[in-house]
Amino acid sequence: MKTPAAHFDLQRDAAGNLIYTDAAGAVHANVLPVRLFPLTDPNHWVAITSAAGHDLICIEDLATLPEDARIILLEALAHRDFVPLILSIHAIRRAAHGYEWYVTTDRGQTHFTVENDESIQPLASGSIVVMDHRNTRYLITDPAALDLKSRQKLERYY
Amino acid sequence: MPADPLTLPHLEKRLEPGERVVARFQMDLDPQLQFQKGLLVLTQLRLLFLAENPAGVAAFQEWPLERIGELTLEEMGATGALNLTPTEPASRVQWRFTAGLIKEADTFVARFMDQQRGLGDDTPAAMPAAADPDGDDEGLDFADLMPETVHGNPMLRLLKFSRPWIKLIVLGLLLTIAATSASLLTPWITGVLVDKLLIPLQTKSHELSLQQLLPYAAMLLGTALVAWLLKWGRTFVVARIAELVTSRLRRELFEHLQRLSLIYFNKKRTGDLISRIGTDTDRLSLFISLSFIDFVCDVFQFLFTAFILFKIHPLLAFAALGPVPVVAWLVRCVRGHLLSGFAASSRAWSLMTSVLSDTIPGVRVVKAFAQEQREIARFRQTDHHVYSTNDRVNRTWSFFSPMIEMFTDLGLLIIWVVGALTVAHGTLTVGVLWCFVTYTTRFYGRLEAMSRFFASAQRAAASAHRVFEVLDVEPDMPATEGTRRIGRLSGRIEFRDIKFRHGSRQIIRGINLDIAPGEMIGLVGPSGSGKTTLVNLACRFFDVSEGAILVDGQDLRDIHVEDYRKNIGLVLQEPYLFFGTIADNISYGKPDASRGEIIASAKAAHAHEFIMKLVDGYDSMVGERGQQLSGGERQRISIARALLINPAILILDEATSSVDTETEREIQRALDNLVHGRTTIAIAHRLGTLRLANRLVVLEDGRISEIGTHEQLLQTSGTYARLHQAMQEVSHA
Repeated sequence: MKTPAAHFDLQRDAAGNLIYTDAAGAVHANVLPVRLFPLTDPNHWVAITSAAGHDLICIEDLATLPEDARIILLEALAHRDFVPLILSIHAIRRAAHGYEWYVTTDRGQTHFTVENDESIQPLASGSIVVMDHRNTRYLITDPAALDLKSRQKLERYY
Repeated sequence: MPADPLTLPHLEKRLEPGERVVARFQMDLDPQLQFQKGLLVLTQLRLLFLAENPAGVAAFQEWPLERIGELTLEEMGATGALNLTPTEPASRVQWRFTAGLIKEADTFVARFMDQQRGLGDDTPAAMPAAADPDGDDEGLDFADLMPETVHGNPMLRLLKFSRPWIKLIVLGLLLTIAATSASLLTPWITGVLVDKLLIPLQTKSHELSLQQLLPYAAMLLGTALVAWLLKWGRTFVVARIAELVTSRLRRELFEHLQRLSLIYFNKKRTGDLISRIGTDTDRLSLFISLSFIDFVCDVFQFLFTAFILFKIHPLLAFAALGPVPVVAWLVRCVRGHLLSGFAASSRAWSLMTSVLSDTIPGVRVVKAFAQEQREIARFRQTDHHVYSTNDRVNRTWSFFSPMIEMFTDLGLLIIWVVGALTVAHGTLTVGVLWCFVTYTTRFYGRLEAMSRFFASAQRAAASAHRVFEVLDVEPDMPATEGTRRIGRLSGRIEFRDIKFRHGSRQIIRGINLDIAPGEMIGLVGPSGSGKTTLVNLACRFFDVSEGAILVDGQDLRDIHVEDYRKNIGLVLQEPYLFFGTIADNISYGKPDASRGEIIASAKAAHAHEFIMKLVDGYDSMVGERGQQLSGGERQRISIARALLINPAILILDEATSSVDTETEREIQRALDNLVHGRTTIAIAHRLGTLRLANRLVVLEDGRISEIGTHEQLLQTSGTYARLHQAMQEVSHA
């Protein structure tokens, strides 16, 4: 699968919707960018899908895209993506249904409920995904890089 | 006891010079179906029959080959028979045996027929491979046919298992001895303290001086510290040994299980196997790290204290230790009772895990049929079984501690009485008596602990037995058997007169089929006709009983199994997804696949679009506890998995039969990409799946009944036409 970077034409219309023009010149309105590996490899493999959910193009490496299109794409992705990175863990307390986590993420301080042990899962890359009871996912990219106190708290539950 | 009439010299005596044994068959019944051993021997000249009889004299009959009309095998349910029809008008001879021997009998008949046709005497194929499990043509020794000798004591084997860590074990033992000796010093120091310091103080013959007290205090503190350090070291070292040994056990168990064939797993309850790897090894770990080391400590302390007691005052020691033989005798009495009790408790436990592993995965069926109450009742019953077996064994061993306490009190009572008398006589000081009492208390304490060890040792022995039982199962199809390394195959498969027997059931009764590279074969036929077995044989999950399967002209049994399986893509009726991400599941057969390859095969399997719609895309967790995917979605992931390894041979086992028509169509489109350019064997009930097939093969009762294209088979109006008709009616109904 090669990346047809030269043909990549992504624009934003007045309403803020994404318009994608494919290699054959067909224009697709209201397209949606999707990260295929949002947790393990967010910077590669992004698909553009039509409004109906069909696959239009798959981009292997975002770095190969033309500058302006890439910025639009990254903005659109950032607009949709929500996987906060946990930077430090302040407390994990027993709650009515599971455990209440108090954390600082790259998107600020928050707390959430983790229902059971299975909600905390390792990924092949060594990072850990924590899923709260509303299915929001939090990522700990490198557990070893957390500060000591956070690490100790994490170890009690994972 | 009469000598076994079926021994080698006995047979050898009957043979003519130059006569050579071609095959032999040992049966286990007589014509009246009484258990009795008999032996049929085929040489290049004759068929000989030897039988054991109650008088100890071997019966003997013989038939020259040219006088034998035919030798046939007859299956009769739980038994089988070999029928010999002589050429001359004479009565037929029949030999009977239990069904377990049918396979051997079948081989024997085949050898006989080779011999009769004047074939194969010197070809390697005529070697009585199946009748002689060791492949040893000279060793006509009946010991070969005897049941395998039982392996040794499980606890001794556990010890053997820990051999790699012998240095650590010696260190643990040394630490144990040192720690025990250190803690034994305390009563002695106290005794001296009483005599030298306290008694004189009380009788006012002395003033208390700190200078005198301090050395004793320092000594007591010193021994306490040393004992603490040594015990710490000991406990840690021993716990590590226990973890190392049980980790090796678990690992070897799992590795061993992975080497066993599907036949073994079909026979076993999953819960039981899981409990053997999990619970039983954990029990062993606890046993080694706690009970065993305590026991060693106890034995040392026991011997040391006994020694010290006798050293201090032999007479008093005799009096104090009077009740010991009684205890020893009691321990002996309850021993067998405990062993069988713990074995029963272990079995009850695995029965309970089996019920769990049966019911929890099948929870949908349970709910659908509203059988919750019944499952609750079933679980309650097995749980009660666990309770009652444990309760029974508890009754026995709980009797011990109080009993030994009683004996301790008795021993102490004796010491106080005898001690008071001796102190009064002036042959014993109060300090020594005090020290004596302390040692005696310890002594009985150790005795109690040892009796408790006894219970846990029996429990551990039961667990060790269950663990080694699995390890002792011989892999029935060694992966190392085939040694020829192969790369990618072109995909030609030839089935040459293959037969397969499972237990006493003949499943495949002779199939001949050539499949060209890239050809798609559709297998149809009623349930139980042998379709899945044929496919399992082609995957080499089992080996054929007779005949051969050739791929690219090479016998499957000569090819390295792993190399061969890399050429096979398998799509099953119930796709199994492992716990992990979708990407992990797709790349299961090729873990180093790039993300691009994963996406490409998902696209080809028409799985890409639904995967994109999941929040985590290819990183979504699936499997037992992961994302809920529909049957069709799971199936398409498993098709992507098969596509990724780009197999030369593709096997579809009812890949579309568990989904609705709409999903079937999607899976169908995915399959069309998959079968293209590969040798494909597809089993299907839905004949639509087979529309791309070059040839359809209809199986009935382990044989091919029809073969041809869809149109040809419809015209012959045989089984296929009937099946097709039935399908039409179902879909129009």
